[in-house]
Order: sequence, then C-alpha cells, then structure tokens
Amino acid sequence: MSRARIIIDADPGLDDAAAILMALASPEIDVLGLSIVAGNVSLKDTVTNACKLVGISGRTDVAVHAGAAGPLVRDQVFGKYAKIGSFSDEFVARGGIVPSEEHAVRFIIRKAREAAEAGDSITICAIGPMTNIALALVQHPDVARGIRQIVSMSGAFTALGHRTPWAEFNVLADPHAAEIVYRSGIPIVVMPLDMTFQALFTAEHFKSFGDRGGVAGGALFNLFSTFDRSDVARFGRPGGPIHDATTIAWLIRPELFISRKATVGTQVTGLTMGYTYADFHQKMGRAPNAIVVTDVDEAGFINLLIERISLYGSSASDPKRREA
Amino acid sequence: MTPIPIIVDCDPGIDDTIALLTAFVSPELEILGITPVCGNQPLDRTVRNALQVCELGERTDIPVFAGCFRPMFREPIHGQFHGTTGLGNTVLPEPVKTVEKASAVDFLIDTLTAAAILQKRITICCLGPMTNLAVALRMNPQIADGIERIVMMGGAYREPGNRTMTAEFNVLADPHAAHVVFSSGIPIVALALDATHQVMLKPEHVEQFSAVSGRISQTLAELMAFWDRNDVRRYGSRGGPLHDPLVIAYLLAPQLFQTERARVFVEHESELCMGQTVADWYGKSGLEPNADIVTKVDAERVIAFFLERLSRYAEKAVA
Repeated sequence: MSRARIIIDADPGLDDAAAILMALASPEIDVLGLSIVAGNVSLKDTVTNACKLVGISGRTDVAVHAGAAGPLVRDQVFGKYAKIGSFSDEFVARGGIVPSEEHAVRFIIRKAREAAEAGDSITICAIGPMTNIALALVQHPDVARGIRQIVSMSGAFTALGHRTPWAEFNVLADPHAAEIVYRSGIPIVVMPLDMTFQALFTAEHFKSFGDRGGVAGGALFNLFSTFDRSDVARFGRPGGPIHDATTIAWLIRPELFISRKATVGTQVTGLTMGYTYADFHQKMGRAPNAIVVTDVDEAGFINLLIERISLYGSSASDPKRREA
Repeated sequence: MTPIPIIVDCDPGIDDTIALLTAFVSPELEILGITPVCGNQPLDRTVRNALQVCELGERTDIPVFAGCFRPMFREPIHGQFHGTTGLGNTVLPEPVKTVEKASAVDFLIDTLTAAAILQKRITICCLGPMTNLAVALRMNPQIADGIERIVMMGGAYREPGNRTMTAEFNVLADPHAAHVVFSSGIPIVALALDATHQVMLKPEHVEQFSAVSGRISQTLAELMAFWDRNDVRRYGSRGGPLHDPLVIAYLLAPQLFQTERARVFVEHESELCMGQTVADWYGKSGLEPNADIVTKVDAERVIAFFLERLSRYAEKAVA
C-alpha cells in the first residue's frame, strides 16, 4: 500500500504534540508539512510549539507553515490550557527550526492543486480549528478536488460539555470554518469527543513515553505529566484523553475503530454556537457527508501510540535515518 | 501630483464596467490591479468580463487577478440586472489578454505587505462582495497597514434593500466578508443605496453619453440602456442607479458628496435580515465610528463628471 500523503493542520497544543510526533515516526505516513493555526494558544505560540516538535522529532525535512491568527467570523477563544502558551525549553528543547516563508493557506492550496493536477489526492488531518482549510477551500475549486479526505478531530454528539455545555473546542473556536469543511463535499472522517473520551491515558502510559521514547518521548512525558487532563468525576476512572492522536491512528490502523455514516453539521450562531449534530438515521433527508468514528479499541490505540513514540528511543529505527 | 494607487476589487457587471472605464481615463489614479470576484456573475464570467473591459478601454497594461470562486460562508448568489453574461446584451470580442497566474488574494497580500513596508498605502475600491479582501485580511491581518482606505459600494442604511427587504446585493452575497472588513479598523467610505439611489442614469443621459464617448460609444450606450430598471414606483424616475461608478467619482470629486461618520454593523446571523447594514448614527452602541457613510450626492454634477471623463474616449490619446 502506498503511504498516505498528509498535511497536519494543527494548533499545538498538548495532544497535537502527541499526534504530530506519532505521524512523524510512522512509516505508513508521508507528512507533506504542518499548517499551523491559532487555537489552543495564540498563533505565535502554536508556531513556536510546532517548530519545537519538528526539532525534537529529527524530521527537519518537514516544513512548518504559519497560518490564520484567528477565526473567520466569531471572536477568538483559546483552549482550556491556554496558559501553557509556548512549551518551555525545559519541557521541549528548542531545535533551531524556523517556520517556512510560505503561508499555511497558500501551502494547502498549492499542495492540493498539485495533487488535483497529478490525480494523486492528499489527506488533511485537521486537529485544530479549521480556519486554514476553510480559507483555502474558498479560493479555488481545485483545492477540494485535490483532497481525498479530511480526518477531523472535531465535534461532540452525546459527550457534551467539553468547552461549553454544547461544544467541542475545535468547532467552538471557529464554527464557520468547521461548517465550510463539513459542507465542502470532501469525504470527512469525524473523530468526536464521544470516541476520544473512550481511550484514557494514565501516568503509567506517560512514563512509557518518557522511558522508551528518547528526547521526543521525554517531551511528551513532561507535557502530559505537568498538565494533567484526568477527570475522574467525568470519566469514572483515572486518565485523560489524547484526542488528536486518534486521527493518525485511524490512518495507520483503521481496524482499531468502529464508524458509521452520518450527516454532520454545526450551529454557527447563537447560544449553542459550535454545537455539532450527527444525523445517523437520515432524518434530515440529506446524503451523509461524513464517517463518524463512534468507538475505539482503547488498549489497541494506547499501545499503538506508545509503540510509535518508542521509535524515537531506538536508534535503529530513528525516523530521520529511515527517511534518508 | 502623484496618482493615487488603487486596486479595483469588482464583479463586472454593467455598473462595474462603467466604473472601470471611468478609472481607465483618469490619470489621477494608478490602477495597480483588478481583482474580479464571484458576485454579479460566477467567477469565470467576472474574470472574462474584466479582461474584455480592459481591452475595450485599451488598458491591457493593467493586470487582472482571479479572486475567490465563492463567498466565505454562504452559497453563491448572482445579480439580477446584468443579463446572462454580466454585460447585458452586449457581446464583446473574445479577449486576447489573459488573467495573471497569481490569485487575487495573493496579489492583495503581496502588494499590501510591500505597501506597508514602503509606507505607500493603497486605496482599495470595492465594487462587489468583499470576499477577496476579507480572506486576505484573515490570512494576513497586518496587510491592513498597507491600506490607505477602503471606498466601497454596498449596504443600505436608511434606504431599503435591493435584493431582500433589508439587504443590498454586495453585502448579502457575502455578509461574513463585509463583517470582517467593517471589523478591521481600516478607514472605510461607504457608498450605500442611500447614495446610489440619488444618482439615476436616465434615458436622456444615455443619449448624452452615447454622443460624447467616441470609440466606446456604441458599447456604452448598450450597457446603459440595458441598465434601465424601468421602475418609476421604486426609483421615482426611469433609469438605473449608478452604483459602482460612484466609488470612482468619490475618489476624484469628493466635494460632490456629503458623509456622516457612524459605526456600521453587518447582520450575518439572522436569515430574515441577512446582509442588512446597520449604522449607529447617534452613538447608541458605545463603539467608535468605523465608516464615513455617504448621505447626500450632487447628482447633476456627478453625471456631468462622468460625461466629461467618458468623453475622453473621443480624444485621440487616452490616459
């Protein structure tokens, strides 16, 4: 099977860090570049964090493109962990990586149009607010033609109350962009909170990152140990989700997941702004636009993420050397 | 005097065409580029029309950059008074001039970034839905520093809408883009229906334009004749409102216009009033004004202004 050619559109962010490092270590995936957006933290900080992650991954061949500094229409909101800002050098070493001159939106447009021309479309893993992707889609019809699918960590259908009583953060932060992506006609794979809440990582798993994952694993250990995401009251047991990494796991090992077709959309205004719906039963009379991933094999996903992060600790499978 | 550098963001369109033809023969303006967008017609049509109008006006030196093919968020809508091609019944020759490789959004970003660095700010003339400018601003907010001001045709304040009860076409076609532009802090001059409905291009004017405009006379007369709404109940006379050309007239003859400063809000949430522009004339919002809204136009002298400008097509050397 040919490697999936992907752009990771991200707002690192803690769980973005795990997703990006997982993708950069995975031989099944060819990361064409990172397009960065404001979200969990400001654009300046998400770009700094992305550069640091590329630095510690050793994958200096992967460019970081700075994108939109805020949402399309609504007022800006940041993530629950916004106070983190940029990752401190103590947690994630500075790697001397600087962002590309090319804007993230231009990068997405260029790659998608080249892919449309070549008949070899690309995948976008959307793990932040979808502002960059929406800004690319309105500029030329070939952009949508060049994108095979968008695997989007977004939405919440029954697992509500993530950031507001109704909304998951990535959609809440730019509901217009999310709706543009959902309605784009591009096949969408939605990784909602309903599913990401099923796989909880505990201190023991973070220790595995640190013990086995070299510098990159150490950075993840530092981040996740410091900013504890567990919520026993909510989840009924210890541990916290790593939402964004499910997009990469789905590309590598789809058999770990169960999914259903649905018509997906979001509320863009009013009190319930960012509320996402999934019509599994065709009540709206609209053709399904998405595959909604409803269940994950918790142990399988956790082991896969640990396995991939462990590759950073084994010089024989150093991702940089494997690329060369 | 150094000419005013402008970019004409438009969706030609009959009235866009009259605006462009006027700008083409105005040496006070340096037209850096034309950026057609999806609006009165789909993008491929507005681009083609822009190229044809450049050829008609013999200004093929001006680059044309294709803009966004759809609004930021809503589904595209198109104009109702421009015929099937956007130029009424007028058939212009197949254009030889071609569109630039760069997109309108990239052109705006690159040109305005350079303008900000050189402190040689550019005036943006918006004659259509403001998608191109809004997308550029959302990609690179700092390009605002490269914009002297925006002179835009769009909106309806004390006047009812022309596409819905409350909305003017350019704002309705992309209310989210209008919201982005009016929230940007860039100085804006707004020529809304309140102004443009004061300047009716009547059948007797069409004859006058036809008589003076030399080599473009036949095309101009056709376009202007097609523009007649023939709706006395609505407009108080025969003829069509001279919407987009007023942007160019405002730049060159501001003394013919009266303005009032106000904060402008764009409705982008309610389906009933989608695209409505609301002006805070009396400081009720507690927010600073963000626009100079044209409230009164000296219509007679504006028509005379256009007659003089377009008569330049009868002269040997143009611009």
